Amino acid sequence: MGSWTPGATLTQESSDEALCRRVAARDESAFDVLVGRYQGRAYRLAWSLLRNAEDARDVSQEAFLRVYRTAGGFRGDARFSTWFYRIVVNLCLDHRRRGRWWQQILVRDDGGGDAERALLERQPAPGADPGEALGGKQMTARLWAAVERLSPQQRAAIVLHAQEELPTSQIAEVLKCSEATVRVHLHRAVGALRKIVARE
Amino acid sequence: MHPDLELTAYLTDALAPAERARVAAHLEACADCRRTLDESRAVLAGLAGGAPAPPPPDWGRYRAELRARVQAPAPRAWWARPMPAVLAAGLATAAVLLVVHGHERRPVELAAVEETMLGARLPLLEQYRVVERLELLEDLEAIRHLDRLGDGGR
Repeated sequence: MGSWTPGATLTQESSDEALCRRVAARDESAFDVLVGRYQGRAYRLAWSLLRNAEDARDVSQEAFLRVYRTAGGFRGDARFSTWFYRIVVNLCLDHRRRGRWWQQILVRDDGGGDAERALLERQPAPGADPGEALGGKQMTARLWAAVERLSPQQRAAIVLHAQEELPTSQIAEVLKCSEATVRVHLHRAVGALRKIVARE
Repeated sequence: MHPDLELTAYLTDALAPAERARVAAHLEACADCRRTLDESRAVLAGLAGGAPAPPPPDWGRYRAELRARVQAPAPRAWWARPMPAVLAAGLATAAVLLVVHGHERRPVELAAVEETMLGARLPLLEQYRVVERLELLEDLEAIRHLDRLGDGGR
């Protein structure tokens, strides 16, 4: 690996896809630029799906590692961001599947509960400020806490839509399913969130 | 029929124009769907209010860890990994034992199959007077094909 200093201006201005092709040719400065562009998004997406900082760091680093090792297999007809999001989401889903069996045996707080509680605790108590904006913030916090209770596929779809602001067509590419399936995931996720919030 | 599934897609602008027009027409006439649409809109608007921010990592450490992982040799596939000598010796011994004992067991298994086949034929054999007293026959091989005999064989 090279010096890991920011790449040359030419590299900085290159498209993600061009950088990925250079990574395939073992251009480490191009990899450095790609990491710089995507590290925040990768970590945030992984954290939203796993709700554990350590796991999110590990999984997002693993995603970059996959890019470095398999960049030669990247098809130029797809967007790099779609390919990369797919790697991150798949790693997160695999991570959750792997963790499930032992989580059932060992009662362990993986930080997810903490994250949810912390999120709610940061919000002012109900009624402390009847202002419209405050109610909105509370609702937002409750909704995102409820997202954690959705199925992995629904959660991935809603995070990619509401947080990463991807259109349905791109979510379908990331999740490797049809747009109709994404619509079903989003519909069910929104329906479940309506019910969860209504109950609370 | 209520366009339940299409309501979220209507809000996320994921419908084709014709489908969108059909849902819009339904909404004008259906108060239930308008209520569902409003609730769904509130959910999506609430989520758009901002996802919770993850605890910020130490990006310097993050990059250093990633650099170390990139520089580490790629792990081999499980079948390409060198096998510990003890495990290899154990597997070789197991293979040898399997071959040797597999051959030894074979006649026993064949005998069991023959017994089963003969047992299945017993009701048929009992129809023949000559073999009514099966227990007196020493050589079962002699009656193996009795079921193929014609009337003259009785």
